[in-house]
Amino acid sequence: MDGKKMVTVKIDGHEIQTERGTPIIKLAAKLGIYIPTLCHNDFVEPYGSCRVCSVEMRRGKRKRLVTACNYPAQDGEEIYTDTEWVRENRKLILELLLARCPEVPIIKEMAAAYGVTETRFEKLYSDCINCGLCVRICSEVVGANAIGWAGRGVNREVTTPFEIDSQACIGCGACAAVCPTGRIHIEPLWALKEGEPREFTLGPASAIYIPTYQAVPKVPVIDPTACIHFKTGGCKICEHVCEPKAIDHNQEERWEEFEVGQILLTTGYELFNPVVMKQYGYGRFDDVYTSLEMEYMFNASGPTNGRILMKNGQEPRSIGIVHCVGSRDVNYHPYCSRICCMYALKFAHLIRDRSEAKIYQFYIDMRAFGKGYEEFFTRILDEGVNVIRGRVAEVVKASPDKANDGKLLIRCEDTLVHRFREIPVDMVILCSAIEPQRDADRLQRLFSLSRSPDGFFLEKHPKLDPTATPTDGVYIAGCCQGPKDIPDTVAQASSAAARILANIARGVVEVAPILAYIDPEICAGCRLCLQLCPYGAIEYLEDKGISQVNEALCKGCGTCVSSCPSGASTQRHFRDDQIWAEIEGLLLDRR
Amino acid sequence: MKKLKVEDLSKIKEKRIKERQLSEAGPYRARIVVHLGTCGLSAGAQSILETFESLVAQHPEAKAYILKCGCGGFCAREPMVQIETLGLEPVIYVDLKPKDVKTIFEEHVLKGSIVEAKRLSPEESFFARQQFLVLRNRGKIDPENIEDYIAQDGYMALAKVLTSMSPEQVIAEVKASGLRGRGGGGFPTGIKWETCRHAGEERKEERFVICNADEGDPGAYMDRSIIESDPHSVIEGMIIGAYAIGSRQGYVYIRKEYPIALEKLNIALAQAREYGLLGDNILGTGFSFDIEVHRGAGAFVCGESTALMASLEGRAGIPRAKYIHTVEYGLWNKPSCLNNVETWANIPIIINKGADWFTQIGTGDVTNNPWGGSKGTKVFSLTGKVKNTGLIEVPMGITLREIIFEIGGGIPNGKKFKTVQTGGPSGGFLPETLLDLPVDFDSLTEAGSMMGSGGMIVGDEDTCMVDMAKYFINFLLEESCGKCVPCREGLRAMHSILERITKGQGKEEDIEALQDLSKVMIQSSLCALGQSAPNPVLTSIRYFREEYEAHIQKKKCPAGVCPDLYEMTIIPELCSGCMVCARYCPTKAISGEKQKPHQIDRSKCIKCNVCYSLCKFNAIKKI
Repeated sequence: MDGKKMVTVKIDGHEIQTERGTPIIKLAAKLGIYIPTLCHNDFVEPYGSCRVCSVEMRRGKRKRLVTACNYPAQDGEEIYTDTEWVRENRKLILELLLARCPEVPIIKEMAAAYGVTETRFEKLYSDCINCGLCVRICSEVVGANAIGWAGRGVNREVTTPFEIDSQACIGCGACAAVCPTGRIHIEPLWALKEGEPREFTLGPASAIYIPTYQAVPKVPVIDPTACIHFKTGGCKICEHVCEPKAIDHNQEERWEEFEVGQILLTTGYELFNPVVMKQYGYGRFDDVYTSLEMEYMFNASGPTNGRILMKNGQEPRSIGIVHCVGSRDVNYHPYCSRICCMYALKFAHLIRDRSEAKIYQFYIDMRAFGKGYEEFFTRILDEGVNVIRGRVAEVVKASPDKANDGKLLIRCEDTLVHRFREIPVDMVILCSAIEPQRDADRLQRLFSLSRSPDGFFLEKHPKLDPTATPTDGVYIAGCCQGPKDIPDTVAQASSAAARILANIARGVVEVAPILAYIDPEICAGCRLCLQLCPYGAIEYLEDKGISQVNEALCKGCGTCVSSCPSGASTQRHFRDDQIWAEIEGLLLDRR
Repeated sequence: MKKLKVEDLSKIKEKRIKERQLSEAGPYRARIVVHLGTCGLSAGAQSILETFESLVAQHPEAKAYILKCGCGGFCAREPMVQIETLGLEPVIYVDLKPKDVKTIFEEHVLKGSIVEAKRLSPEESFFARQQFLVLRNRGKIDPENIEDYIAQDGYMALAKVLTSMSPEQVIAEVKASGLRGRGGGGFPTGIKWETCRHAGEERKEERFVICNADEGDPGAYMDRSIIESDPHSVIEGMIIGAYAIGSRQGYVYIRKEYPIALEKLNIALAQAREYGLLGDNILGTGFSFDIEVHRGAGAFVCGESTALMASLEGRAGIPRAKYIHTVEYGLWNKPSCLNNVETWANIPIIINKGADWFTQIGTGDVTNNPWGGSKGTKVFSLTGKVKNTGLIEVPMGITLREIIFEIGGGIPNGKKFKTVQTGGPSGGFLPETLLDLPVDFDSLTEAGSMMGSGGMIVGDEDTCMVDMAKYFINFLLEESCGKCVPCREGLRAMHSILERITKGQGKEEDIEALQDLSKVMIQSSLCALGQSAPNPVLTSIRYFREEYEAHIQKKKCPAGVCPDLYEMTIIPELCSGCMVCARYCPTKAISGEKQKPHQIDRSKCIKCNVCYSLCKFNAIKKI
């Protein structure tokens, strides 16, 4: 439209200059004048169906009612948004709408604002005003075109093609979000799936989220698998509403290379998925949670606002906390996960704090080894938490005819009293084991590390050098090295950081002079040494077709030297001829 | 066929006239004009035609030929035939049955003596007051033969425009003629063309001309008849319009329910293309233009300009806000000039005879103000309770009385005139006191009705105004697109109130509620359908308020139409006891003995009105 010409209009006496063709409702919004409407939304093209936004337009002697949502202001026009005429017209329109939707709150409210509480016209008891916002946002913004119009006149209605479930619907919920009357609603399906990528399995997911509460930098990301824009090419509503214009849908993930001298690995752990331990019912019963899910529920900004709730929305009256799920178990992980005892006690304390529920702890040994830990345990005991020593055998649903209908039964042997016990609870918390990250082997190869039998990265020396690794310049800290709690992690990470800083402060790295050397004249490029070098110190130069030793990494172990079929690899200062000469010299003296 | 050049047109004309001239020496001495419009065909014209055809074949000595014409206009008396023979003036025969044909052929065509029994009386006033501009070729051409049209000066206007006039001159001529849109709005055609041309030139965009043949008003069939009988006049008008506006592509949006019109139109378009009157390089003048036909799918609202264009684009026919005019941003957002069939058909004659001639017909003065008067003629379909129903063309300014009582022949069965409804569902009812109202755009609008596309429905004393209003509201309720609240919800509310009133459950405040509804619909509906929808209700309240009050207060329907508001009764003094009513009463509600007054059992009576229409003694009354 050739709308670059500027025009001046007056709205309720306020003069405003604008481009020709700008709808009145936008100008009014700039002036802070409210014009009621039901069918207009900034994200879709104006439609002009509800007519509630009708305002009075005067030009010279002519005056008429125009719809503010789509009437393009012309030069010299005067607009009045709240005259007697406008109010009377609006009143009649709202009376008609009230006849159509006598029970819809927003219609009742708007009508009441114009003094209409009862309608003279035949009531229809519909909850859709045919404003078409849903249809328009679905086609114009989302681009899915899943819903449309059917019928004509009074029979006109919003529906899916042929009134069957539309395959085109992507379930984005945009229609429900814009629906003014609440006719359309979305029912969230809270799925709990194995291998769920995030910890957010307890709440509805959105395509835009902050990865974790402690994310650095703390900015939201867009999940391209869930974002409407990446599905249909439409939407971009977030881009429109973001005032600093920070959203760019064209941004892509990219690989960046950094050159560094030292690396600290803190890749953490993964939580053991208790689905595999069928006897504990995780994934089968509604109210069996892992410790991390519970942690999320306890969070005041979590899905339940910090309240402890069962799936049915009620507060549990009894909770069982099961220790050593997947740890200290020959079938899964023989090692102790070290942190469970203490956080289980913390859970008990938090639950005691927030609810009246009875708490049962099922443990094998209480491992409260840290500073102040034992005292905490004693305090929990004083708070009236039941502790039962014995590994839980299984969690089952209580049989419906018994008094404990609907509850979960925890079966175990109480080894202190030598009795088999069945304890009915509403909720079960499983203290899952700490596991190495599932891609630890990939990392191991990348950094030429070793792993202990439990799968965690192996340190250079368990007592004397617990943060370094056999690869120079690569350090480890935290749970990637083995299960540990926060104080231990902090201590280890600080020590690693200190080691790194010490190297940086020194400015140079001292290397022992005993190094391997591959003679480029002789090397045939067979790359046998590459596979054998335990330190990843040999690289193959594609362009020259030979292997070369990285002297900063070489430890002078001699593996490559002894294995080199062509004799190209030699040990500096310990060349064969040198050693022969030494031997010869020694033997000469004897003679 | 070789594409025509300008000079070929008059050659074809002369040749065709010579061919068809009646003379003793020539091939023909008699012409039988059979009217084969939809109205004629439904009255049985096809078998009349076939009978004539076999007779003509049997009697080559008669030297007669049959002209298969379009609508003859006098629908009430179809099938209708006009016979022209040498030495006799043309004679019109009406109300024909196949058995009459032989007599007429033998007597009139062979022997030259007129069959008076079937002849339309020369005194008949039906044709007397009419003036044929748009229907100028009525009874003269075969719509399937382009040469017939050319013989009647067809495409001469086009030749004149293409050879001797600039587009601006054409627009000026149309503006000077004062022609106003015949589709209902009455917008000055010349101004529309000028704006469209201007918008296109300013933005350097292509332009479209569109013919609105989506005639949907109940009781209106002017456009159908024009296309069926004289499609080339519409095509010629469109080509001239396209030249004036600077368009290369035209569309005809024709309603689905007009199969014969569509067929004739397609034949005409194919012929025009063959003769080089459509397509590239028309008449060798370098101007190119073609027309595409688009069929509607049955929605009344698609006659509204923006809905029509949406439908043409392939979208649902739903109007949009018209703050931006279609002449600037119409079809595919290009400048588009939409005119009604009748408007286009007016163009050739205006060009041929000139604006000055045209302005002599009609009312007012349009020299300075294009809205200052109504010029030319208007085609109406005269229907309802009137003797001579049919398609008529009258000069603007004729009074309603002249139309109904002179052309229409008054009300049949000795009933009294009550109302005339003009303008279709968007128009209004006019009472007897306004019978002397001149028929033009402004007088009708002032009286609360409108010219509309030309439907004219006459109601007699048996017409219930509330029921009629309800009929039109119900029609619109079904045909509203349902987009905007005032139209959709307003019509629903109106209909339920009228329904209530006709059932005898009306309330005192209902009339005020109807007026309130009308107000909001007029001032804030999105398109003209909603804005004009209350007219039938408003005019019926304005002129026949007492009937509403009778329904509401006395619970009576004075016209005896609303079944809940009257009772059948037999007046004993008038009843002769003939038993006819008793025999035909479907529910056996009437009882009585021969020669004695009968009685009606009201608990059984279903008010089917069979007895009422059968009684020869007017003994049955509705009370």
